[in-house]
Amino acid sequence: MQHGRRRQNFGRISHQIATYVVMVIALWCIFIYAPTEEVQGIVQRIFYFHVSSAITMFLAFCVVFVASIAFLWKSTPWWDSVALSAAEIGVMFCTLVLITGPIWARPIWGAWWSWDPTLTLTLVLWLIYVAYLMLRADAHDPKRARFAAVLGIIGFVDVPLIRWSVEKWRTLHPKPVVIQAGGTTGLPPSMMLTFLVCLAAFWLLFVYLLRERVSLAQSRYDLEVLRHQFDTDLSK
Amino acid sequence: MGAEVMVHMEGVTKRFGKVFALRGIDLQLGRGRFLGVFGPNGAGKTTLLKVLATLTRPSTGTITIAGYDIVREADKVRSTLGVLVHRTFLYGQLTASENLQFYGRMFGVKKLPERILEVLQIVGLETHARQLVRTYSRGMQQRLAIARAILHHPSLLLLDEPYTGLDQHASTHLQELLRQLHAAECTIIMSTHDVQRGLELYDDIAIQCRGKIVFYGSAAGIDLHAFEQLYAEHAR
Amino acid sequence: MFTRQVLAILTKDLKVEWRTREIFTSMVVFAMLVVVVFNFAIGANPELIQQVAPGVLWVALLFATVLGLQRAVQMENEEDCLQGLLLTMGDRSALFVAKTVANMLYLFIVAACTLPLFGIWLHMDIASHLAPLSLILMLGMLGFSALGTLFSIIALNTRAQAVMLPLLFLPVSVPLMIASVYATSKIVEGRGFAEITDYLTLMTVFDIVFFVLAFLVFDYIIEE
Repeated sequence: MQHGRRRQNFGRISHQIATYVVMVIALWCIFIYAPTEEVQGIVQRIFYFHVSSAITMFLAFCVVFVASIAFLWKSTPWWDSVALSAAEIGVMFCTLVLITGPIWARPIWGAWWSWDPTLTLTLVLWLIYVAYLMLRADAHDPKRARFAAVLGIIGFVDVPLIRWSVEKWRTLHPKPVVIQAGGTTGLPPSMMLTFLVCLAAFWLLFVYLLRERVSLAQSRYDLEVLRHQFDTDLSK
Repeated sequence: MGAEVMVHMEGVTKRFGKVFALRGIDLQLGRGRFLGVFGPNGAGKTTLLKVLATLTRPSTGTITIAGYDIVREADKVRSTLGVLVHRTFLYGQLTASENLQFYGRMFGVKKLPERILEVLQIVGLETHARQLVRTYSRGMQQRLAIARAILHHPSLLLLDEPYTGLDQHASTHLQELLRQLHAAECTIIMSTHDVQRGLELYDDIAIQCRGKIVFYGSAAGIDLHAFEQLYAEHAR
Repeated sequence: MFTRQVLAILTKDLKVEWRTREIFTSMVVFAMLVVVVFNFAIGANPELIQQVAPGVLWVALLFATVLGLQRAVQMENEEDCLQGLLLTMGDRSALFVAKTVANMLYLFIVAACTLPLFGIWLHMDIASHLAPLSLILMLGMLGFSALGTLFSIIALNTRAQAVMLPLLFLPVSVPLMIASVYATSKIVEGRGFAEITDYLTLMTVFDIVFFVLAFLVFDYIIEE
């Protein structure tokens, strides 16, 4: 068991180190390596954080979706922990998107907020998944996980519908510069590389946070079960 | 076996989140028998009845009622059950007949108007059939709830502390009704606090404590004194 | 058996509501309140009012829906009637269908009562566009009722019931909101039916997807 634990710890620590290293490289790329964009200036560098956060947020909510379905199907507490953890982390990245968006927008378009499709979608998702977290906090115990799972599924299924409806509504967001129609990217190679490095860093961070959070949730759950058993045994 | 055994429970546990309400219940009840379940508060009597009533699924173990598996053939099981708990399941804004009409339609009771009159006569409420239920006294509501429970000719009657809140007159009435039903070969499981009332009616006695059945035996020859001793001994 | 049970629950719900008319009156009054307050807030500029009218209309209907949903599900809370109901059910999703239809009916009646008034207050020409507007209303109400019924059952089991329902329900309904409001505004402006087919498609897809989804997961949330 010692051996297994050591291997586990080794895995965690190496993951931790990898995340730090890639993040530092990403920061270097973003601030030093990548060239300054002509039109938007230095502020454009936020784009790397902003888009990476958005993609990671989406990944997180995808995990919530899958874990929710798995939980409804299998009823194992582990899937519930995964859903909860991914939702928390997802909301965190979602908040990042909503903060970096306006910071980017203000110098460029002169307004803090514009109701453009992607940002609006992110805002609605923020509302949905914050409601998810509130539901978890507020619902009565045995049903809590199942309710959250249902919301996790509904929220994700809603995403294409929200996107479709908001798109028919406004368009102000810069056209996707990363991948354009025809397969060519609007980004010069150095920027593309920076973006990919940043994305990799965020994904590593996401997985690391997810692992740690799930482990915490599981420990908490196990503790509660043990505590309750202890209480009832004691009263015999 | 087969048609002789009405209720068969094996290895049944029920867990609500971290709380174990039932831990390993094994029980067999023959058709037409009257089982009294006794136990202190928190023993899990209500959960036991809820699980049998298909209101909640067992976490582990199997239950069959009249040969039907409670999880896979739940709808067949439900039509054989009559359930009475402290909440009456009656709609205050409807009259007694309307309430019975609703439940009759849900169960698909044949010749409903005649049956409604019949059960109202059995519980002595035929003169109040057109009164709104919210004008009923507690005793009258309980009586109507009994009418609701037996409306669809259930073969198994589940009663959870039915004497609670009833005055002397209503309690005697209920006791007499149970005697009649018992005589008519209805299988009855009743949980109660009241050690003194109706001891002579029971065929079998069970004592439940902290989620386990700590005593199960025939009621033949057990008088009040013997039972009180038994209860004190087991329900620690 | 499924249809029998759906009809039985539906008639029972309508009967109970008819005795008190609580749900219906509170929805109508609330919708009217919203419109009146909006008018005071926006000011007396008729052009401006006309521009925001479709939005105000749907906000009023939505808030009324949330109110109605909460009260509709409270009906089953007294005397734990919900448990009694579950004891009789074959397929539990029949309860979902019945409640959704009931909520739709309340909304429909509320809309029928308040639309003429709103037409006058908000300077909207409803009468000449009644047919397409009815279609939009129907599609909107179906989606809102289905999701609303599902979330109202969930909210019933939380501590802050009244707060939880709008919190869960409104963000998820955003696509339907957007489509309803825009379709309504285009129609009222006098644009042809052809211009709103996109929105109608969205609404139909939304309705189908979430009705089916809610139907499928209903069993999981209703069980103890």
